[in-house]
Amino acid sequence: MKTTVPLAPQTSTLIPRGVADYFWEEALQRRRLEVALLDIFRTWGYEDVIPPMFEYTNTFSRHANNELQAEMVRFQDRDGSTLALRADMTIAVARLVGTRLHDWPMPQRFCYTGSVFRDTELQAGRQREFLQAGIELIGAPSPTADAEILALTAKALQMAGLNGFKLVLGQMGYFHGLLQALQLTPDQQRWLQQAIDRNSEPEVAGFLRAVALESQQRRAIEELPSLNGHDVAAILAHAEQLCLNQVMQAALSNLRAICTALDSYGLLNFIYVDLTEIHNLGYYTGLTFEALAPGLGFPVATGGRYDQMIGAFGKPEAAVGAAFILDRMLTARRNSTGPQKPPQPVAPQLLVAATTSSQCLAIVEEWRGQGIRVAVDVGNHTVSELWQMAQKIGCQRVLVWRGAGFDVYEDAPTPARYIAADDQAQLLNLGS
Amino acid sequence: MEPLLIALPKGRMADQSLDLLQRAGISMPNGDFGRKLVITSADGALRYIMAKPTDVPTFVEYGAADMGVCGLETLRESGRNVYEPLLLPFGHCRLSLISPTDRPDTPLRYESQPRVGTKYPRLTMAFFRERGVNAEIIALNGSIELAPLVGLADLIVDIIETGNTMRANGLAELRVIMHSQAVLIVNRAAYRLKADLIQQVLTALRAVLETNEQTSTRNVNV
Repeated sequence: MKTTVPLAPQTSTLIPRGVADYFWEEALQRRRLEVALLDIFRTWGYEDVIPPMFEYTNTFSRHANNELQAEMVRFQDRDGSTLALRADMTIAVARLVGTRLHDWPMPQRFCYTGSVFRDTELQAGRQREFLQAGIELIGAPSPTADAEILALTAKALQMAGLNGFKLVLGQMGYFHGLLQALQLTPDQQRWLQQAIDRNSEPEVAGFLRAVALESQQRRAIEELPSLNGHDVAAILAHAEQLCLNQVMQAALSNLRAICTALDSYGLLNFIYVDLTEIHNLGYYTGLTFEALAPGLGFPVATGGRYDQMIGAFGKPEAAVGAAFILDRMLTARRNSTGPQKPPQPVAPQLLVAATTSSQCLAIVEEWRGQGIRVAVDVGNHTVSELWQMAQKIGCQRVLVWRGAGFDVYEDAPTPARYIAADDQAQLLNLGS
Repeated sequence: MEPLLIALPKGRMADQSLDLLQRAGISMPNGDFGRKLVITSADGALRYIMAKPTDVPTFVEYGAADMGVCGLETLRESGRNVYEPLLLPFGHCRLSLISPTDRPDTPLRYESQPRVGTKYPRLTMAFFRERGVNAEIIALNGSIELAPLVGLADLIVDIIETGNTMRANGLAELRVIMHSQAVLIVNRAAYRLKADLIQQVLTALRAVLETNEQTSTRNVNV
């Protein structure tokens, strides 16, 4: 018996940290979710976009916060320039619109799915390579545009079976306005941001002890952590009393307008307002949100308004978008249906013994046209070999062509019945 | 409604947490832990788990537990991304840099590469990096005071409550790295998804803490 951990593992079985093989049922579910999401996005008028898998590091860097900067997977081009694997879809789409589609009528709507790469600490559904789907609505500054992105996010989560989800809405302007009013040093800003982001009593208290502020300013910070909950009107009213300038007030009226627009979609029950929701990527300028689903401690989707980004590539355009983390959506859905089982193979429903009969192959084609999974043997196996293979991979039926019909093997290695080639009803039944 | 799951750190802090929760009128685990890993309250509204203290932030960040109690120093060492809305009035201690009493009194920044034994490698690394010192961190799991005595490390970073163990081993406190006490932590998603239940617990705890403060202030005045 082998009792030691090998000191030098076999490198042929290794794959790099943070990437995975998906296969069988799990791969199928990921693909299905991708397709289903894109289908919904398209019905709302969103058009497909496929950004490149890697770009110049500079393209991403200009809009990345420190975290994203540190997490980019970089490598060098032959001419010495630095490239990075796609670290963010939104930036790639913004580059496309800003540099090439700026004269096309606005608003423009785009949707996508694909892998995103970030060299990050591994956590639930966020490996170094993770699968995203997303939507971007470009050239529309109105609150109704924000509401459309939120409504479509809600629609997508419902379709994915994530009942009981919540959309947590914040507005970056409120915190940005607060920072403007406080006139802090960069270190103090970072401290306050982390304290608020973590809803941290010790850090907020420490900050208030260390930084000299007027009483109105103190109060705005002390009460900020309580500005969250379901009661949109009450929270916005409370936040109103704490405003220190126009920027904060503008943020609140914008949030109010978005909620009014969401009411028309019948979505107010899914909304949770949280003015401490400020931890997102760093490029958001207005609305920011995350979608939460029961059974998972991490958001399944995030998004917000980024009005400053496209201007960096060309003509300035307002924009708002959302990104879904597909593995988290799948995990949340599985968690809500009980303990996880290992993925099962998705075997063919019918296994047909090797044949050269064109009549037989025509029938097989008919089955496939009906969406039935049929594999025809290409190895000249004996019936008993096929039967054993079918048992092993979980295929229900083995069929052997007998010139004018099929012998059907179902529960035993002997034919259970014979179906004639002209018995249409019976033939179609085989796939069920 | 789904019950709220609370993670408690095995040991004295768990008893102190339960005591506080009870005074706040929050329903208690129905029975003793012993061999059981999960205990539900009599009314079914809450479930409790006992975890190794350093694991509590992990349970809470992943949402396996909705809330938990742990030391602030354990939380900072873990680097876990959770809410920390409420300090609790127990588990007071400080995380300090400790040296043998015969260490010459020179600034740390004169050291080229001190060897530092600790259970808190992240915080220790951050402390030395901030001073531009490239410390060799020796991660240990227990009996940290032993390290300088047998020449494994020049310095140690550890928790000090009374300082008795430290003094008994011929060690002295050089710098306080952080002051710590127990903190209630909450999963970011649960904080919103189970907002009603969590706010109830927070409000009840805050009420008890305020009464406490008033009592202790009165005592001081007397």
